[in-house]
Amino acid sequence: MATLPPIADDAARRNLRVGLMAFAGALAMLGLGYASVPLYRLFCQVTGFGGTTMQATESDAARAATLVTGQKISIRFDASVPADMPWTFHPSAPTDTITIGERDIATYVARNLGSTPVTGMATFNVTPEQAGKYFNKIQCFCFTEQTLQPGQEVMMPVLYYVDPAMLDDPNMQGVEQITLSYTFHRAKDPVNPVSTGTN
Amino acid sequence: MATTAEGFDAHHDQGHGHDAHDHADHKPGFFARWFMSTNHKDIGTMYLIFAIIAGIVGGAISGIMRVELAEPEIQYLQWWAQFMGGGNDLNTALHMWNVFITAHGLIMVFFMVMPAMIGGFGNWFVPLMIGAPDMAFPRMNNVSFWLTVAGFFSLLFSLFVPGGTGPGAGTGWTVYAPLSTSGSVGPAVDFAIFSLHLAGAGSILGATNFITTIFNMRAPGMTLHKMPLFVWSVLVTAFLLLLALPVLAAAITMLLTDRNFGTTFFNPAGGGDPVLYQHLFWFFGHPEVYIMILPGFGMISQIIATFSKKPVFGYLGMAYAMVAIGVVGFIVWAHHMYTVGLDVNTKMYFTAATMVIAVPTGVKIFSWIATMWGGSLSFKSPMVWSMGFIFLFTVGGVTGVVLANGGIDDNLHDTYYVVAHFHYVLSMGAVFSMFAGFYYWFPKMSGRMHSELLSHLHFWTFFIGVNVIFFPQHFLGMQGMPRRYPDYAEAFTFWHQVSTYGYYIMAGSMVFFFVNIAYALLAGKKAAANPWGEGATTLEWTLPSPPPYHQFETLPVITDAHDYHDHRPVTA
Amino acid sequence: MGQRHTRMKNAILAAIAAGLAAFAPLSVAAQVAPTTTPVEATAPAAEAAPATAAPADAAPAEAAGTYTPMAPTKGKGMPTSYEDGALKSMTFQDQYSENGKYAQWMHDGILMPVITAISLLVLGLLLYVVVRFNRIRNPVASRTTHNTAIEVIWTIVPVIILVVIAVPSITLLARQYETPPADAVTIKATGYQWYWGYTYPDHGEIEVISNMLDEGEAVRRGEPGQLAVDNRMVVPAGVPLRIQTTASDVIHAFAVPSLWFKMDAVPGRLNEKLLTIEEPGVYYGQCSELCGARHAYMPIAIEALPPAEFAAWVKAQGGSMPGEEAAAPAAAPAVDAAAAAAPAAAR
Repeated sequence: MATLPPIADDAARRNLRVGLMAFAGALAMLGLGYASVPLYRLFCQVTGFGGTTMQATESDAARAATLVTGQKISIRFDASVPADMPWTFHPSAPTDTITIGERDIATYVARNLGSTPVTGMATFNVTPEQAGKYFNKIQCFCFTEQTLQPGQEVMMPVLYYVDPAMLDDPNMQGVEQITLSYTFHRAKDPVNPVSTGTN
Repeated sequence: MATTAEGFDAHHDQGHGHDAHDHADHKPGFFARWFMSTNHKDIGTMYLIFAIIAGIVGGAISGIMRVELAEPEIQYLQWWAQFMGGGNDLNTALHMWNVFITAHGLIMVFFMVMPAMIGGFGNWFVPLMIGAPDMAFPRMNNVSFWLTVAGFFSLLFSLFVPGGTGPGAGTGWTVYAPLSTSGSVGPAVDFAIFSLHLAGAGSILGATNFITTIFNMRAPGMTLHKMPLFVWSVLVTAFLLLLALPVLAAAITMLLTDRNFGTTFFNPAGGGDPVLYQHLFWFFGHPEVYIMILPGFGMISQIIATFSKKPVFGYLGMAYAMVAIGVVGFIVWAHHMYTVGLDVNTKMYFTAATMVIAVPTGVKIFSWIATMWGGSLSFKSPMVWSMGFIFLFTVGGVTGVVLANGGIDDNLHDTYYVVAHFHYVLSMGAVFSMFAGFYYWFPKMSGRMHSELLSHLHFWTFFIGVNVIFFPQHFLGMQGMPRRYPDYAEAFTFWHQVSTYGYYIMAGSMVFFFVNIAYALLAGKKAAANPWGEGATTLEWTLPSPPPYHQFETLPVITDAHDYHDHRPVTA
Repeated sequence: MGQRHTRMKNAILAAIAAGLAAFAPLSVAAQVAPTTTPVEATAPAAEAAPATAAPADAAPAEAAGTYTPMAPTKGKGMPTSYEDGALKSMTFQDQYSENGKYAQWMHDGILMPVITAISLLVLGLLLYVVVRFNRIRNPVASRTTHNTAIEVIWTIVPVIILVVIAVPSITLLARQYETPPADAVTIKATGYQWYWGYTYPDHGEIEVISNMLDEGEAVRRGEPGQLAVDNRMVVPAGVPLRIQTTASDVIHAFAVPSLWFKMDAVPGRLNEKLLTIEEPGVYYGQCSELCGARHAYMPIAIEALPPAEFAAWVKAQGGSMPGEEAAAPAAAPAVDAAAAAAPAAAR
């Protein structure tokens, strides 16, 4: 089948075609490499992979509320600040017990110890990881950047519920406590300082 | 790149080169031949020389590490820190350690194993084995080589610029964010990343070249299912390179922009995720380990068949086992990330998928043994290296099965057990296959016979040396000794000392290798076209040793008489 | 024996240095002397985060005898040297958690026999073909290149072996992923460059900053160098612990070999795992993800105490046991109810 053809030009053309196809494959993988950033984020947001929480609307919450069976679950609240962040940040209470499916509100307290305004952006996840897709936030300080003036202390609320669908998931069997964890990072540059203590 | 332009010029120069030998062996002048080379054999030779030089550098660095590790506490790192132009404080010394482990890993992977296997042996023997006059894109071949060299210099340069608490990039070869971004101040990491870009670009171009050559330039009658297994192995490797390296390129480019242009791909402060970097790195990194070993599989198949005077057993199974390993290699990456915080289902999946790889690998091991079974074995140097390969690769492979279990890996992850495992498959697997290939093809490449005595001495001392280095590291790992430590608790001392003695044996054994090359080039017997006898049936042995500068001007025709692999009717 | 090795190594180093002197005449001559004097590796602990270490360091001492650090037991929770036990130095540390014991059983009882058998089988076959099929005994090679039966066998048999391995492997994973009960004692380990911080959110926000002890101090206290710390992570033995990890700067990993426990500490994210330590003791571990210059100098020391002594330690730290104070969540009974209800519903 593959022979060196009598006309060299023809061989060169065929080589070029295969070579370009291979190179196009490499370029496609390069594109996939970059595309993986939004794709990975989307994947986590949809599946709760890595303990990513869900974002819910009021109507989602209302629908979940109709499925309440009265079973309770314990929620732990965790807070971290990296070394380069001059804030204190902690939950108002370390744990709470809530009814699965019912909306609840938790508050965190943040205080800027620095002498300049500092903007923070919170990252979050829940443990155990399989709880991610059942942990729904309706409103959260983590949806936007937060700016604190020097010495300012604010309460930051998060409005959430735990989806009753977790009761049907074998992976959630035996889960007695879900930890909601936030880390407040120093945002790169303060874009559009948002008033603190959302809602 | 300047080299690109030179590469193109070289082609025109060939028309009126200075050396006026006979028509068939028309070589250009020294500079044009070696710096603007478009000849696959010359480029292969340059790759091999380059890989040997890089191997000396990478091996010397591992010597520095082993000598430091012979005793607990820090002995020599402060001296090295000052030697490399850093400060006298302990942090610089400890940073130096991280620079050494990083450089050792990157050099051995990107500038020793890959150039030797693919650039060296691949360039030399893929065209010869398929009956082609040269590679499909000879000038691009030259570009690939010089990109690799440029990458090496970029990495070496990174050793002398600031990279944190001292000079050099101390991130590990994995370059995990955020240690490689916010955790490493200074341009060293940028140069190290750039070096991967250059080497990666060279490899992608090389992969394109091999794929085109193998698909388009086979001699009449050389069907895919008649190709020697080494060619198959390079074909699969080329596809792995083509699909895996661009993902690495994307990941490290994002690291560069995170470092220098304020992007936050892997920075949680801007919504990025450092774990994503690990996913991307290992999506490349796992196929990469097969990139390093598959050409070795190919060489071992050729050599075992040659010295058993027998066609390789289960040719199709061997070829498609490599394809299977290549394919499965893309879906097991997270077994390098078992402790990062994966959920239970993910970990179970990767455990199961990883163990699946043992099946095609087992097929290969047993097929090699079956090839020898019933053969008429002669134990020439390539054969003993190949047999050493089979055993040591098996040992490395079975510890891989241990590590594949996510629950077991919870203890062994990032310990010396892992170090022992991947050195058994690479430092013994890949390196033994390279020495086997080197002794197999050296007479063909140079036209001179090496000394069998020195080759055997090299084998036995090297075999003992590497086993003394790496076998005790299993013990250290099980006892809990973490990787990438310059210093350790007193209890680990004994096995570290044993390991260091192994290094001295191994280093000493390399003397035999270099003396052997020198002896062969200076005083070696002239090699016949086929020094290995009737078992050596592939096309390179039909040519004189060394082959003419331009070979196969009249293409060989492969008939059933040449069908040295498969006696069944081919059902494609 | 250490002396002899050092001398030998110095000789080799001197040779290397002499070789290098040709290239770097300026620095080498000046540096040969420092090279041959081993540098104490123990400075880092003293330097690392002295400000944070001081107050935490003072706390136990001031608590007037309510807590004294437990003396470690040789060979328990720490590596064993070859001199102290050749065989023990060649395998896993003894395990002090249920999952660790199961995992070790799986390794010793299933994996090791299987991989040893496979390696020996391959070695045996290689030796056999060397003896039986060498050129002298077998001058004429066969031309056999196929045997469907044997090819099927060596595909199927490995599959069966892997399935045999997979069963306990998956069981082990399932056990390791059991989630902690709501009332598990929660400890959050935070990795810093280059020390660990342990907080006890349910015990009045106790924070323990844990730096490596320098070699001399460790030996003085009867602890292994490189592994001993000034302030340990103190936990109750025999009760479930919820270990959570995160990091403040770069990725670290919280690892304790004798508990079969390793979990990365990733900045911006929390990881969690259940751990139950079966008996009191001191269990050492080390950071297991490359985190910069002093990666080797941020060990982990867990001290497991009987629950009553743990409560005393908490008091000594100025903390409180859950339920003791009004500030602590008054939800304990409700939590128990949920704990009882959830599995009931699921099963």
